[in-house]
Amino acid sequence: MNPITRRDFLRNLGISAAAIPFVGGLPGMAQAASQTTKQRVIFMFSPNGVVPWNFWPEQEGADFRLKEILAPMEAYKDRMLVLNGVNNQVRGDGDNHMRGMSCLLTGDELLPGNIQGGSDTPAGWASSISIDQELKKYFQSNPETRTRFGSLEFGAGVPDRADPWTRMSYAGPNQPIAPVDDPYSMFKKLYGKVSARKDIMSVLDDVGTDLKKVRSQVSSEDRELLEKHATFVREMEKELEASGKQDLSVAPPKLKPGVEDENDNLPKLCRMQMDLLVNSFANDMARVATLQFSKSVGQARMRWLGIDEGHHSLSHDKDSNESSQEKLTKINKWFCQQLRYLVQKLDETPEPGSKGSMLDHTTVVWTNELGKGNSHTLNDIPFVLAGNGLGFRMGRSLKLDNEPHNRLLMSFAHAVGHKIDHFGKEDLCEKGALDLT
Amino acid sequence: MSGRLNRAVYCVSQVRLVGILLCSLLLCSLSARGESGIGNPEKGAGIYKNLCAECHGKNGGGVPDEHEEPLVGDKSVESLAEIIHRSMPEDASEKCEGQDAKDVARYVYDSFYSKKARARNNPAEIELSRLTVRQYRNAVADLVGSFVDGSKKRLGSKRGLKGSYHSTRRLSKKSFSFERVDPNIRFEFGQETPDPEDKKAEDFAIRWRGSVMVEETGKYEFIVKSENGFKLWVNSSDEPLIDGWVVSGGESRTRRETIRLLGGRAYPIRVDYFKYKDESASIDLRWKPPHKVEATIPQRQLIPRSVPSTLVVDRSFPPDDSSVGYPRGTSVSKAWIRATTFAAVEVASAVAKRLNEFADTKDSDPKRRQKIKAFCRRFVEKAFRRPLSETEERAIIDSQFKESEETETAVKRVVLMTLKSPRFLYLDREPFQTDSYDVASRLSFGIWDSLPDKALWRAAEQGQLSSPGTVALHARRMLRDRRAKSKLKAFFHHWLKLNQAHSLAKDDELFPKFDKELISDLRTSLDLFIDDILSGRKSNFRQLLLADEMYLNSRIAEFLGKDEGAPKEGFEKRSFDPKERAGVLTHPYLLAAFSYRDNTSPIHRGVFVTRQLLGRTLNPPPEAVEFKDSEFDPDLTMREKVAELTKADSCQNCHSVINPLGFSLEHYDAVGRFRNEDERKRLNAVSKYEGPDGNIETLTGARDLAEYIANDEQAQRGFIIQLFNWIVKQPVQAFGAGMLDELHAGFKKNDYDIRRLIVEIAKVSALRELKPGTSSESSQLAEATK
Repeated sequence: MNPITRRDFLRNLGISAAAIPFVGGLPGMAQAASQTTKQRVIFMFSPNGVVPWNFWPEQEGADFRLKEILAPMEAYKDRMLVLNGVNNQVRGDGDNHMRGMSCLLTGDELLPGNIQGGSDTPAGWASSISIDQELKKYFQSNPETRTRFGSLEFGAGVPDRADPWTRMSYAGPNQPIAPVDDPYSMFKKLYGKVSARKDIMSVLDDVGTDLKKVRSQVSSEDRELLEKHATFVREMEKELEASGKQDLSVAPPKLKPGVEDENDNLPKLCRMQMDLLVNSFANDMARVATLQFSKSVGQARMRWLGIDEGHHSLSHDKDSNESSQEKLTKINKWFCQQLRYLVQKLDETPEPGSKGSMLDHTTVVWTNELGKGNSHTLNDIPFVLAGNGLGFRMGRSLKLDNEPHNRLLMSFAHAVGHKIDHFGKEDLCEKGALDLT
Repeated sequence: MSGRLNRAVYCVSQVRLVGILLCSLLLCSLSARGESGIGNPEKGAGIYKNLCAECHGKNGGGVPDEHEEPLVGDKSVESLAEIIHRSMPEDASEKCEGQDAKDVARYVYDSFYSKKARARNNPAEIELSRLTVRQYRNAVADLVGSFVDGSKKRLGSKRGLKGSYHSTRRLSKKSFSFERVDPNIRFEFGQETPDPEDKKAEDFAIRWRGSVMVEETGKYEFIVKSENGFKLWVNSSDEPLIDGWVVSGGESRTRRETIRLLGGRAYPIRVDYFKYKDESASIDLRWKPPHKVEATIPQRQLIPRSVPSTLVVDRSFPPDDSSVGYPRGTSVSKAWIRATTFAAVEVASAVAKRLNEFADTKDSDPKRRQKIKAFCRRFVEKAFRRPLSETEERAIIDSQFKESEETETAVKRVVLMTLKSPRFLYLDREPFQTDSYDVASRLSFGIWDSLPDKALWRAAEQGQLSSPGTVALHARRMLRDRRAKSKLKAFFHHWLKLNQAHSLAKDDELFPKFDKELISDLRTSLDLFIDDILSGRKSNFRQLLLADEMYLNSRIAEFLGKDEGAPKEGFEKRSFDPKERAGVLTHPYLLAAFSYRDNTSPIHRGVFVTRQLLGRTLNPPPEAVEFKDSEFDPDLTMREKVAELTKADSCQNCHSVINPLGFSLEHYDAVGRFRNEDERKRLNAVSKYEGPDGNIETLTGARDLAEYIANDEQAQRGFIIQLFNWIVKQPVQAFGAGMLDELHAGFKKNDYDIRRLIVEIAKVSALRELKPGTSSESSQLAEATK
């Protein structure tokens, strides 16, 4: 598939660039043009709730001030949308961490099961599809928006366990999707063929020399077989060269080798994954991604911030424990720095085949399984949006009135033209999608 | 130039042989094979030129649009004379009768028809061969495996999996209650717990560990059935093959995954299992091996000890060329080049991932790069089956390390280079290299289809492998390894044509009990019998054909009407009336495979016996005739129908051999059950068979036939040839005219011991340069190994 840009499209129609500003008004044409404009979404997750007083802006509207945790996003404030007052009201089986995680993007109850949390009843997997997968399905159903993978699921520091605390993306009921938390595996998935080809090409000359040498050491009858062998090797080389010509529009990032999947490497692993994510988008391998830092109840020990305790343990400490709250603020600020890195990277990468940057075509949604760690509340779930992929009106802080998060999930779908009348639990969708434009 | 010295010697000796043979044949053909000396070849040559060459070609090679098939076969001169007398030339058989026919027969037989003539006319050679698919996969597995600790661990004789039982849903030390070896994993706990002391059934957990033994190479489906939480690992300690840990809302609790495994090896297996608040508890660990049905993994395949995992290349390969009757690597294709390339990429990334482990180093080690380079050297040497020269080391290893700053990248490329090199991919590059390392490599590929192990390598280093005694000692040692068993078992499957026997499905109404499960059990029964033959005391060719025992389980026992004393569990050996059963010949799996859906097929059975068991050649039928039951008088027996169908002279050339053999097995119905009468109540299994020597043998049934095969020299030689081909993957004739005779004499002397025959084949093929008459090479070898 060869996506054409808006400019190409108009050129093909024989309309000069000067006419472009006026064309927008023609209904049929605007629609056709919008189909060639890429829209992308990234759902970024960090666990254990936030420190509300260091997180939520006091002000509402366009004129708001970022607090300590969100401070790293200052440069992108006018491209941010901070949504306070969105609740996960799904309820049902499972403890709050489980439901916070596995109902976060599905908006539906968990199935009954055998996994017991710290409280409440045991539960199983989510009972329906998550919004990222719904968007993927929508994009993949249309040849204009179809991509090689449709969606990519990234992780960093996700424990090697599959349960409702570690999965937020679902292809359907009982179909959790495991995030790939090893950048090398992700690299292989994205560029495996390319890098294998590079490795093969790099040794083929030596292989040829070796073949020649061995050929001189066998009888003339046997030489025939090795000559055939050499011919096939050369043919394969030509094929590999030819397939290399349809190369990527953006070269894959160079990964530092041998970074092991362990706690202290989390900062490096996060960077590697985000580099891969942006690159995979730039090469249009997918339009939807999830990026899951750790898992709900995650116990990352952020020693690089001078914090030795596990994140989840700290999140249980009382509001009055100043030192703990300070550490939690630092931890959440660190996650916000990751958001900033991702957003900046998108902003600094020109949109391939179009004007502007990738951030003009991408919205990052940063979210969490809880509102606050020590109360385990599912109210005021953090939803911080950045970028202009979904066409929302950015540069605002909104204080909504206890809206079920299903309405927000619906807005994501509507923003890409997928007009669903509910998502997840139906009775939570009665008021329709939130209007964020 | 030393090129092809060895082969040249054979050629020379063969030329000389031809000369001698021609003379002796002309002058005293009486002694040729101890056969009668009918016919005068000189006169025959003249008649052949006048009457036969037009259709059969000057040298019997056939003529397009006339008689295309070459005149080759294994009939006696007398039989040929008889056929010529009766039917040749086709339109005027009166032109060549009596003594003329005998003269032509003699000429044809001596000049191009007989085996000897063919060997003389087309001297076979040892050809350069690439690794077969089986060899490639095994070599890669052992190459990487040689750097893994504990890969040579003994498996012990205990069978089952070790289960550690826990009193809560957590598999922690605190909750541990007891440990035991379970024969297999198939439990119905219901609402109870496994611990009789602990009645509280709300939760418990079990972890089973050990290994699973695999017989055949292929894809294995593993299946876990349980309403509770489980994870299954096979041949991997990190990613579970199946993760069913979360029970969730009526989800189906049968989970299956497929994985490729190589035969003759054990793989680590682990199951974690827990129950929590579920209404009941049960688990069944099942599998579906190639050619078998799905079943609970039986105890005989499970071992309570754990072994390290094995690298099994997942890449699919094009099948090997088997046009000469056995898989051989004497042709290459683009698909094969591609497969080996991408397989090499697979291996390269697997090695790069475990670099620290393989090179015994760590990231912080200041000598890491150095150690890894040393590892690369060992890797390349093992793959090439010989030490690296300094030039080679520079070309293969140093150059990559110079080019790539990243150690992992350099290693990946070294691995790629190595596995793409003809030094790894090809065998039998003779006689360019002929030293102890070649002997080691020939032995290991001969017996294991894989690389030399440490012991062989050490013996090669010390130049010990020039002595036949030492080589035989190694061969015997290697024969005890499971890889040898796997290779030989595959041979028996090939020899008995088991994997071509896909039409085992029978008419449901006629044979309702002959279902998939029974077929699978019958295959196991045959496999167990072969195992016995392979594993020692009764490793005897005659036993293979004459044993009156068979392995039964309760299902087979019921099917054969042997209910009395049937095994309660698993398979056990039972004796039969010797008239009823005779070794592999009468195994129901084979008899059923060579039958029609609803009736016996004396033709299929006869062809199988002729070709596979008696080692005779059969030409393809001159015209394809389909057997259509409906075209016959329903009152006829199967035997009568077959006799009728093949009564034409043109058919009888071969069917006079095939039919009597097939008829002698008429006591077995289409599913291999013994019967005293058929539906027409006129069962007749007595037949007269004419051997290649022209002698007529009266066979009264299967036991007679089995005795005949066991005693027949050509059958024994046929078996030796097939075994030789399978092991060496080169034609036996390429090893000198006397090789087969020598092997046969040894076989006879050793009372038809198959294991000793294998050792002998491995030995003589590995030491081929040391044959008498090639002393110049022996001294070269001796020098090379000093």
